[in-house]
Amino acid sequence: MAADPFARLADRQQSLRTALRALQAAGPGSPDFPALLTTTNDEVEAVMQARRDVEAARLTTPNRAIAAGTTAAALIVAVGWFDAWSLLSLLVAVATAASVLVDPAGRRLWEPRARTTVITAALAATLLTPLLHGWATLITAAGIAWWAWRTQR
Amino acid sequence: MNIDPVKALEGKVERLGKDLKALDSRLENAQTDAAHEQLGLSNQLKDTTRKLGRTNDRVTELAESVHRLERLLVALNRKVRAGETRKADFGNWPEIEKKELAKIFQGQEAYSRKTFTPQEAKDTRKAIAEYDRRAHEAIEAAESLTHLPANAESLWRKHYKQWHAITDKHRPEVPDDDTHAKDTAAKSAGNEAIKRTRQQIRARIEDAVANDLLFPAWFENAMGPAAPPGRADDWLYTATDVVLYRLLHDVTSPADALGPAPAEDGHRKTLYDRLVSECAEYRRP
Repeated sequence: MAADPFARLADRQQSLRTALRALQAAGPGSPDFPALLTTTNDEVEAVMQARRDVEAARLTTPNRAIAAGTTAAALIVAVGWFDAWSLLSLLVAVATAASVLVDPAGRRLWEPRARTTVITAALAATLLTPLLHGWATLITAAGIAWWAWRTQR
Repeated sequence: MNIDPVKALEGKVERLGKDLKALDSRLENAQTDAAHEQLGLSNQLKDTTRKLGRTNDRVTELAESVHRLERLLVALNRKVRAGETRKADFGNWPEIEKKELAKIFQGQEAYSRKTFTPQEAKDTRKAIAEYDRRAHEAIEAAESLTHLPANAESLWRKHYKQWHAITDKHRPEVPDDDTHAKDTAAKSAGNEAIKRTRQQIRARIEDAVANDLLFPAWFENAMGPAAPPGRADDWLYTATDVVLYRLLHDVTSPADALGPAPAEDGHRKTLYDRLVSECAEYRRP
Protein backbone atom coordinates (compact mmCIF):
# COMPACT_ATOMS: atom_id res chain seq x y z
CA MET A 1 0.00 0.00 0.00
CA ALA A 2 1.36 3.34 -0.96
CA ALA A 3 2.09 5.74 1.87
CA ASP A 4 1.21 8.81 -0.17
CA PRO A 5 -2.56 9.43 0.08
CA PHE A 6 -2.80 10.48 -3.59
CA ALA A 7 -1.13 7.27 -4.76
CA ARG A 8 -3.31 5.27 -2.40
CA LEU A 9 -6.46 6.83 -3.83
CA ALA A 10 -5.35 5.92 -7.35
CA ASP A 11 -4.61 2.40 -6.09
CA ARG A 12 -8.04 2.02 -4.52
CA GLN A 13 -9.76 3.39 -7.60
CA GLN A 14 -7.93 0.83 -9.68
CA SER A 15 -9.08 -2.08 -7.52
CA LEU A 16 -12.62 -0.68 -7.47
CA ARG A 17 -12.52 -0.71 -11.27
CA THR A 18 -11.59 -4.40 -11.19
CA ALA A 19 -14.37 -5.22 -8.75
CA LEU A 20 -16.88 -3.29 -10.85
CA ARG A 21 -15.88 -5.17 -13.94
CA ALA A 22 -16.58 -8.48 -12.17
CA LEU A 23 -19.92 -7.11 -10.93
CA GLN A 24 -20.93 -5.98 -14.40
CA ALA A 25 -19.92 -9.29 -15.91
CA ALA A 26 -22.11 -11.15 -13.40
CA GLY A 27 -25.22 -9.00 -13.92
CA PRO A 28 -28.00 -8.44 -11.38
CA GLY A 29 -29.75 -11.78 -11.99
CA SER A 30 -26.78 -14.06 -11.33
CA PRO A 31 -26.60 -16.00 -8.05
CA ASP A 32 -23.23 -14.58 -6.95
CA PHE A 33 -24.34 -10.99 -7.56
CA PRO A 34 -25.03 -10.29 -3.84
CA ALA A 35 -21.59 -11.51 -2.81
CA LEU A 36 -19.92 -9.46 -5.56
CA LEU A 37 -22.02 -6.49 -4.49
CA THR A 38 -20.70 -6.81 -0.94
CA THR A 39 -17.07 -6.93 -2.07
CA THR A 40 -17.62 -4.00 -4.43
CA ASN A 41 -19.26 -2.08 -1.62
CA ASP A 42 -16.18 -2.68 0.51
CA GLU A 43 -14.03 -1.36 -2.36
CA VAL A 44 -16.24 1.72 -2.66
CA GLU A 45 -15.89 2.37 1.06
CA ALA A 46 -12.12 2.01 0.76
CA VAL A 47 -12.07 4.50 -2.14
CA MET A 48 -14.17 6.96 -0.12
CA GLN A 49 -11.83 6.58 2.83
CA ALA A 50 -8.79 7.13 0.57
CA ARG A 51 -10.41 10.26 -0.84
CA ARG A 52 -11.06 11.51 2.69
CA ASP A 53 -7.38 10.98 3.46
CA VAL A 54 -6.46 12.97 0.36
CA GLU A 55 -8.79 15.75 1.42
CA ALA A 56 -7.42 15.65 4.95
CA ALA A 57 -3.84 15.91 3.64
CA ARG A 58 -4.83 18.80 1.38
CA LEU A 59 -6.90 20.74 3.97
CA THR A 60 -4.94 20.23 7.19
CA THR A 61 -2.64 23.21 6.61
CA PRO A 62 -5.31 25.68 5.35
CA ASN A 63 -7.65 24.73 8.21
CA ARG A 64 -4.91 25.27 10.78
CA ALA A 65 -3.92 28.58 9.20
CA ILE A 66 -7.49 29.89 9.13
CA ALA A 67 -8.01 28.77 12.73
CA ALA A 68 -4.87 30.58 13.85
CA GLY A 69 -5.96 33.66 11.90
CA THR A 70 -9.39 33.51 13.54
CA THR A 71 -7.83 33.39 16.99
CA ALA A 72 -5.56 36.35 16.24
CA ALA A 73 -8.39 38.36 14.66
CA ALA A 74 -10.62 37.62 17.65
CA LEU A 75 -7.95 39.01 20.00
CA ILE A 76 -7.55 42.15 17.89
CA VAL A 77 -11.31 42.71 17.65
CA ALA A 78 -11.76 42.08 21.38
CA VAL A 79 -9.18 44.70 22.25
CA GLY A 80 -9.86 47.28 19.51
CA TRP A 81 -13.66 47.19 19.39
CA PHE A 82 -14.39 46.13 22.96
CA ASP A 83 -18.04 45.49 23.66
CA ALA A 84 -19.53 43.07 26.19
CA TRP A 85 -22.21 41.87 23.72
CA SER A 86 -19.58 41.20 21.01
CA LEU A 87 -17.61 38.99 23.40
CA LEU A 88 -20.17 36.19 22.91
CA SER A 89 -19.45 35.99 19.18
CA LEU A 90 -15.67 36.17 19.78
CA LEU A 91 -15.76 33.43 22.42
CA VAL A 92 -17.73 31.04 20.20
CA ALA A 93 -15.38 31.75 17.29
CA VAL A 94 -12.32 31.11 19.46
CA ALA A 95 -13.80 27.88 20.77
CA THR A 96 -14.45 26.69 17.20
CA ALA A 97 -10.93 27.73 16.18
CA ALA A 98 -9.49 25.79 19.11
CA SER A 99 -11.28 22.58 18.13
CA VAL A 100 -10.14 22.94 14.50
CA LEU A 101 -6.57 23.68 15.61
CA VAL A 102 -6.52 20.51 17.69
CA ASP A 103 -7.96 18.29 14.94
CA PRO A 104 -7.98 20.05 11.56
CA ALA A 105 -9.32 17.09 9.52
CA GLY A 106 -11.62 15.01 11.72
CA ARG A 107 -12.34 11.33 11.19
CA ARG A 108 -15.61 11.15 9.30
CA LEU A 109 -15.96 10.84 5.52
CA TRP A 110 -17.01 14.41 4.77
CA GLU A 111 -15.41 16.07 7.76
CA PRO A 112 -12.26 17.79 6.33
CA ARG A 113 -14.25 20.10 4.10
CA ALA A 114 -16.97 20.59 6.74
CA ARG A 115 -14.26 21.77 9.12
CA THR A 116 -13.01 24.20 6.49
CA THR A 117 -16.55 25.56 6.20
CA VAL A 118 -17.00 26.00 9.92
CA ILE A 119 -13.64 27.68 10.47
CA THR A 120 -14.25 30.02 7.50
CA ALA A 121 -17.62 30.93 9.01
CA ALA A 122 -15.92 31.60 12.35
CA LEU A 123 -13.35 33.85 10.67
CA ALA A 124 -16.08 35.76 8.83
CA ALA A 125 -18.04 36.14 12.05
CA THR A 126 -14.96 37.49 13.84
CA LEU A 127 -14.26 40.00 11.10
CA LEU A 128 -17.93 41.09 11.06
CA THR A 129 -18.18 41.39 14.84
CA PRO A 130 -17.34 45.15 14.89
CA LEU A 131 -20.35 45.67 12.59
CA LEU A 132 -22.82 43.09 13.88
CA HIS A 133 -21.70 42.82 17.52
CA GLY A 134 -23.20 39.72 19.22
CA TRP A 135 -25.37 38.88 16.21
CA ALA A 136 -22.28 37.60 14.40
CA THR A 137 -22.60 34.51 16.62
CA LEU A 138 -25.37 33.38 14.26
CA ILE A 139 -22.86 33.04 11.41
CA THR A 140 -20.63 30.78 13.50
CA ALA A 141 -23.67 28.86 14.73
CA ALA A 142 -24.76 28.27 11.12
CA GLY A 143 -21.27 27.02 10.33
CA ILE A 144 -21.35 24.66 13.30
CA ALA A 145 -24.79 23.35 12.28
CA TRP A 146 -23.52 22.67 8.75
CA TRP A 147 -20.51 20.87 10.17
CA ALA A 148 -22.63 18.70 12.45
CA TRP A 149 -25.07 17.88 9.64
CA ARG A 150 -22.28 16.82 7.29
CA THR A 151 -20.55 14.79 9.99
CA GLN A 152 -23.65 12.93 11.07
CA ARG A 153 -24.46 11.66 7.57
CA MET B 1 -120.60 -40.99 102.15
CA ASN B 2 -121.51 -37.39 102.64
CA ILE B 3 -125.05 -36.56 103.61
CA ASP B 4 -124.90 -32.93 102.54
CA PRO B 5 -125.69 -32.94 98.84
CA VAL B 6 -123.78 -29.72 98.26
CA LYS B 7 -120.69 -31.18 99.89
CA ALA B 8 -121.08 -34.36 97.87
CA LEU B 9 -121.32 -32.27 94.68
CA GLU B 10 -118.20 -30.29 95.55
CA GLY B 11 -116.33 -33.51 96.24
CA LYS B 12 -117.41 -34.80 92.83
CA VAL B 13 -116.39 -31.60 91.10
CA GLU B 14 -113.01 -31.77 92.75
CA ARG B 15 -112.48 -35.35 91.59
CA LEU B 16 -113.56 -34.45 88.12
CA GLY B 17 -111.17 -31.50 88.13
CA LYS B 18 -108.31 -33.85 89.12
CA ASP B 19 -109.26 -36.26 86.37
CA LEU B 20 -109.30 -33.42 83.90
CA LYS B 21 -105.81 -32.32 84.93
CA ALA B 22 -104.50 -35.86 84.63
CA LEU B 23 -106.03 -36.11 81.16
CA ASP B 24 -104.52 -32.79 80.20
CA SER B 25 -101.04 -33.84 81.15
CA ARG B 26 -101.43 -37.18 79.35
CA LEU B 27 -102.56 -35.36 76.24
CA GLU B 28 -99.52 -33.08 76.36
CA ASN B 29 -97.21 -36.01 76.78
CA ALA B 30 -98.75 -37.75 73.82
CA GLN B 31 -98.35 -34.59 71.68
CA THR B 32 -94.64 -34.23 72.51
CA ASP B 33 -94.03 -37.88 71.69
CA ALA B 34 -95.78 -37.51 68.37
CA ALA B 35 -93.69 -34.45 67.45
CA HIS B 36 -90.51 -36.32 68.29
CA GLU B 37 -91.53 -39.23 66.25
CA GLN B 38 -92.41 -37.04 63.26
CA LEU B 39 -88.99 -35.35 63.36
CA GLY B 40 -87.22 -38.67 63.47
CA LEU B 41 -89.24 -39.94 60.57
CA SER B 42 -88.54 -36.92 58.36
CA ASN B 43 -84.82 -37.22 59.11
CA GLN B 44 -84.90 -40.84 58.11
CA LEU B 45 -86.71 -39.91 54.94
CA LYS B 46 -84.07 -37.35 54.02
CA ASP B 47 -81.33 -39.85 54.69
CA THR B 48 -82.94 -42.40 52.54
CA THR B 49 -83.41 -39.92 49.69
CA ARG B 50 -79.73 -39.01 49.76
CA LYS B 51 -78.71 -42.63 49.76
CA LEU B 52 -81.00 -43.26 46.86
CA GLY B 53 -79.39 -40.44 44.87
CA ARG B 54 -75.95 -41.83 45.48
CA THR B 55 -77.01 -45.24 44.46
CA ASN B 56 -78.47 -43.79 41.31
CA ASP B 57 -75.12 -42.19 40.35
CA ARG B 58 -73.31 -45.36 41.05
CA VAL B 59 -75.73 -47.33 38.93
CA THR B 60 -75.12 -44.91 36.03
CA GLU B 61 -71.37 -45.37 36.37
CA LEU B 62 -71.77 -49.09 36.52
CA ALA B 63 -73.95 -49.01 33.44
CA GLU B 64 -71.25 -47.16 31.55
CA SER B 65 -68.59 -49.56 32.64
CA VAL B 66 -70.84 -52.47 31.76
CA HIS B 67 -71.24 -50.94 28.33
CA ARG B 68 -67.49 -50.71 27.99
CA LEU B 69 -67.09 -54.25 29.14
CA GLU B 70 -69.75 -55.38 26.77
CA ARG B 71 -67.87 -53.93 23.80
CA LEU B 72 -64.63 -55.45 24.95
CA LEU B 73 -66.37 -58.73 25.45
CA VAL B 74 -67.91 -58.67 22.00
CA ALA B 75 -64.54 -58.01 20.41
CA LEU B 76 -62.88 -60.67 22.51
CA ASN B 77 -65.62 -63.11 21.87
CA ARG B 78 -65.32 -62.69 18.15
CA LYS B 79 -61.61 -63.18 18.26
CA VAL B 80 -61.82 -66.25 20.44
CA ARG B 81 -64.54 -67.72 18.28
CA ALA B 82 -62.38 -67.20 15.24
CA GLY B 83 -60.17 -69.90 16.75
CA GLU B 84 -56.70 -69.47 15.44
CA THR B 85 -56.46 -65.66 15.94
CA ARG B 86 -54.48 -64.61 12.91
CA LYS B 87 -52.88 -61.23 13.09
CA ALA B 88 -53.75 -58.36 10.81
CA ASP B 89 -50.70 -56.77 9.19
CA PHE B 90 -51.00 -53.00 8.86
CA GLY B 91 -47.25 -52.44 8.80
CA ASN B 92 -46.19 -53.67 5.37
CA TRP B 93 -47.68 -52.24 2.22
CA PRO B 94 -45.88 -53.72 -0.77
CA GLU B 95 -48.75 -52.71 -3.06
CA ILE B 96 -48.34 -49.03 -2.23
CA GLU B 97 -45.36 -47.82 -4.16
CA LYS B 98 -42.87 -45.18 -3.09
CA LYS B 99 -43.91 -43.27 -6.19
CA GLU B 100 -47.42 -42.87 -4.87
CA LEU B 101 -46.16 -41.55 -1.54
CA ALA B 102 -43.87 -39.14 -3.36
CA LYS B 103 -46.85 -37.90 -5.35
CA ILE B 104 -48.78 -37.33 -2.12
CA PHE B 105 -45.89 -35.40 -0.65
CA GLN B 106 -45.56 -33.29 -3.78
CA GLY B 107 -49.26 -32.52 -3.67
CA GLN B 108 -48.99 -31.45 -0.03
CA GLU B 109 -46.02 -29.26 -0.87
CA ALA B 110 -47.95 -27.71 -3.72
CA TYR B 111 -50.81 -26.96 -1.37
CA SER B 112 -48.56 -25.33 1.18
CA ARG B 113 -46.52 -23.36 -1.37
CA LYS B 114 -47.39 -19.71 -1.79
CA THR B 115 -48.60 -19.25 -5.32
CA PHE B 116 -48.09 -16.14 -7.35
CA THR B 117 -51.22 -14.62 -8.78
CA PRO B 118 -50.66 -13.10 -12.23
CA GLN B 119 -50.89 -9.59 -10.74
CA GLU B 120 -48.28 -10.42 -8.11
CA ALA B 121 -46.01 -11.90 -10.75
CA LYS B 122 -46.38 -8.71 -12.78
CA ASP B 123 -45.56 -6.54 -9.75
CA THR B 124 -42.54 -8.68 -8.94
CA ARG B 125 -41.32 -8.40 -12.51
CA LYS B 126 -41.69 -4.64 -12.31
CA ALA B 127 -39.74 -4.56 -9.05
CA ILE B 128 -36.99 -6.67 -10.63
CA ALA B 129 -36.78 -4.33 -13.60
CA GLU B 130 -36.59 -1.38 -11.22
CA TYR B 131 -33.85 -3.10 -9.24
CA ASP B 132 -31.87 -3.87 -12.38
CA ARG B 133 -32.16 -0.26 -13.54
CA ARG B 134 -30.98 0.94 -10.15
CA ALA B 135 -28.13 -1.56 -10.20
CA HIS B 136 -27.08 -0.27 -13.61
CA GLU B 137 -27.14 3.31 -12.35
CA ALA B 138 -25.28 2.41 -9.18
CA ILE B 139 -22.59 0.62 -11.16
CA GLU B 140 -22.22 3.64 -13.40
CA ALA B 141 -22.00 5.89 -10.35
CA ALA B 142 -19.32 3.69 -8.84
CA GLU B 143 -17.58 3.67 -12.21
CA SER B 144 -17.38 7.46 -12.13
CA LEU B 145 -15.99 7.24 -8.58
CA THR B 146 -12.94 5.56 -10.13
CA HIS B 147 -11.88 8.63 -12.10
CA LEU B 148 -13.23 11.63 -10.19
CA PRO B 149 -10.67 14.20 -9.02
CA ALA B 150 -10.36 14.18 -5.24
CA ASN B 151 -11.65 17.70 -4.66
CA ALA B 152 -14.96 17.45 -6.56
CA GLU B 153 -16.79 16.88 -3.29
CA SER B 154 -20.39 17.37 -4.44
CA LEU B 155 -19.92 14.87 -7.27
CA TRP B 156 -18.38 12.39 -4.88
CA ARG B 157 -21.34 12.82 -2.57
CA LYS B 158 -23.86 12.40 -5.37
CA HIS B 159 -22.31 9.25 -6.79
CA TYR B 160 -21.70 7.76 -3.36
CA LYS B 161 -25.39 8.24 -2.54
CA GLN B 162 -26.41 6.72 -5.86
CA TRP B 163 -24.21 3.71 -5.20
CA HIS B 164 -25.84 3.20 -1.81
CA ALA B 165 -29.29 3.16 -3.40
CA ILE B 166 -28.61 -0.47 -4.28
CA THR B 167 -26.52 -1.91 -1.47
CA ASP B 168 -29.39 -2.05 1.04
CA LYS B 169 -31.89 -3.61 -1.39
CA HIS B 170 -32.57 -7.18 -2.41
CA ARG B 171 -33.56 -8.40 -5.79
CA PRO B 172 -36.93 -10.22 -5.57
CA GLU B 173 -37.16 -13.82 -6.73
CA VAL B 174 -38.16 -14.28 -10.33
CA PRO B 175 -41.70 -15.65 -10.43
CA ASP B 176 -41.96 -18.92 -12.27
CA ASP B 177 -44.51 -18.86 -15.07
CA ASP B 178 -45.22 -22.55 -14.78
CA THR B 179 -45.48 -22.62 -11.00
CA HIS B 180 -49.22 -22.26 -11.05
CA ALA B 181 -49.84 -24.91 -13.69
CA LYS B 182 -47.27 -27.27 -12.16
CA ASP B 183 -48.77 -26.85 -8.71
CA THR B 184 -52.23 -27.55 -10.00
CA ALA B 185 -50.99 -30.73 -11.66
CA ALA B 186 -49.12 -31.78 -8.50
CA LYS B 187 -52.20 -31.10 -6.39
CA SER B 188 -54.49 -33.21 -8.52
CA ALA B 189 -51.90 -35.99 -8.81
CA GLY B 190 -51.51 -35.95 -5.04
CA ASN B 191 -55.25 -36.10 -4.52
CA GLU B 192 -55.51 -39.05 -6.90
CA ALA B 193 -52.66 -40.85 -5.16
CA ILE B 194 -54.23 -40.27 -1.74
CA LYS B 195 -57.52 -41.59 -2.99
CA ARG B 196 -55.96 -44.76 -4.38
CA THR B 197 -53.83 -45.35 -1.29
CA ARG B 198 -56.81 -44.82 0.98
CA GLN B 199 -58.80 -47.36 -0.98
CA GLN B 200 -56.06 -49.94 -0.66
CA ILE B 201 -55.62 -49.38 3.06
CA ARG B 202 -59.32 -49.36 3.72
CA ALA B 203 -59.76 -52.59 1.81
CA ARG B 204 -57.17 -54.28 3.97
CA ILE B 205 -58.67 -52.97 7.22
CA GLU B 206 -62.14 -54.06 6.14
CA ASP B 207 -60.72 -57.43 5.28
CA ALA B 208 -59.16 -57.70 8.74
CA VAL B 209 -62.46 -56.76 10.35
CA ALA B 210 -64.36 -59.23 8.22
CA ASN B 211 -61.95 -62.09 8.99
CA ASP B 212 -61.76 -61.29 12.73
CA LEU B 213 -58.04 -60.83 12.59
CA LEU B 214 -56.20 -59.63 15.64
CA PHE B 215 -55.32 -55.95 15.20
CA PRO B 216 -51.77 -54.80 15.94
CA ALA B 217 -51.26 -53.35 19.41
CA TRP B 218 -50.79 -49.75 18.20
CA PHE B 219 -54.01 -49.99 16.21
CA GLU B 220 -56.06 -51.15 19.17
CA ASN B 221 -54.41 -48.57 21.43
CA ALA B 222 -55.48 -45.82 19.11
CA MET B 223 -58.80 -46.98 17.71
CA GLY B 224 -60.22 -49.14 20.50
CA PRO B 225 -61.03 -52.87 20.18
CA ALA B 226 -63.73 -52.43 17.54
CA ALA B 227 -65.84 -49.87 15.75
CA PRO B 228 -68.40 -48.20 18.00
CA PRO B 229 -71.85 -49.40 17.07
CA GLY B 230 -73.48 -47.29 14.37
CA ARG B 231 -70.32 -45.42 13.44
CA ALA B 232 -68.39 -48.02 11.50
CA ASP B 233 -67.85 -45.81 8.47
CA ASP B 234 -66.35 -42.91 10.45
CA TRP B 235 -64.24 -45.36 12.39
CA LEU B 236 -62.91 -46.96 9.21
CA TYR B 237 -62.14 -43.52 7.76
CA THR B 238 -60.09 -42.54 10.80
CA ALA B 239 -58.39 -45.94 10.92
CA THR B 240 -57.39 -45.55 7.27
CA ASP B 241 -55.94 -42.14 7.99
CA VAL B 242 -54.00 -43.45 10.98
CA VAL B 243 -52.41 -46.16 8.85
CA LEU B 244 -51.75 -43.65 6.06
CA TYR B 245 -50.14 -41.28 8.55
CA ARG B 246 -47.82 -44.03 9.77
CA LEU B 247 -46.98 -44.94 6.20
CA LEU B 248 -46.34 -41.36 5.06
CA HIS B 249 -44.27 -40.31 8.02
CA ASP B 250 -42.47 -43.60 8.71
CA VAL B 251 -43.86 -44.15 12.19
CA THR B 252 -42.85 -47.66 13.26
CA SER B 253 -43.59 -47.68 16.98
CA PRO B 254 -45.32 -50.98 17.89
CA ALA B 255 -47.45 -49.38 20.63
CA ASP B 256 -47.84 -45.69 19.76
CA ALA B 257 -49.89 -45.32 16.59
CA LEU B 258 -48.98 -41.73 15.73
CA GLY B 259 -45.56 -41.37 17.30
CA PRO B 260 -44.33 -38.12 18.80
CA ALA B 261 -46.17 -34.94 17.87
CA PRO B 262 -44.57 -33.08 14.93
CA ALA B 263 -42.84 -29.86 15.95
CA GLU B 264 -43.44 -27.60 12.98
CA ASP B 265 -46.81 -26.52 11.59
CA GLY B 266 -48.03 -27.87 8.30
CA HIS B 267 -49.99 -30.74 6.81
CA ARG B 268 -48.49 -33.29 9.15
CA LYS B 269 -49.34 -31.30 12.27
CA THR B 270 -52.91 -30.69 11.12
CA LEU B 271 -53.44 -34.36 10.37
CA TYR B 272 -51.85 -35.38 13.67
CA ASP B 273 -54.10 -33.11 15.71
CA ARG B 274 -57.19 -34.29 13.87
CA LEU B 275 -56.34 -37.97 14.32
CA VAL B 276 -55.53 -37.58 18.01
CA SER B 277 -58.89 -35.98 18.76
CA GLU B 278 -60.84 -38.44 16.59
CA CYS B 279 -59.15 -41.48 18.11
CA ALA B 280 -59.83 -40.17 21.62
CA GLU B 281 -63.49 -40.00 20.69
CA TYR B 282 -63.57 -43.62 19.54
CA ARG B 283 -61.97 -44.85 22.76
CA ARG B 284 -64.56 -43.13 24.92
CA PRO B 285 -67.27 -45.40 26.43
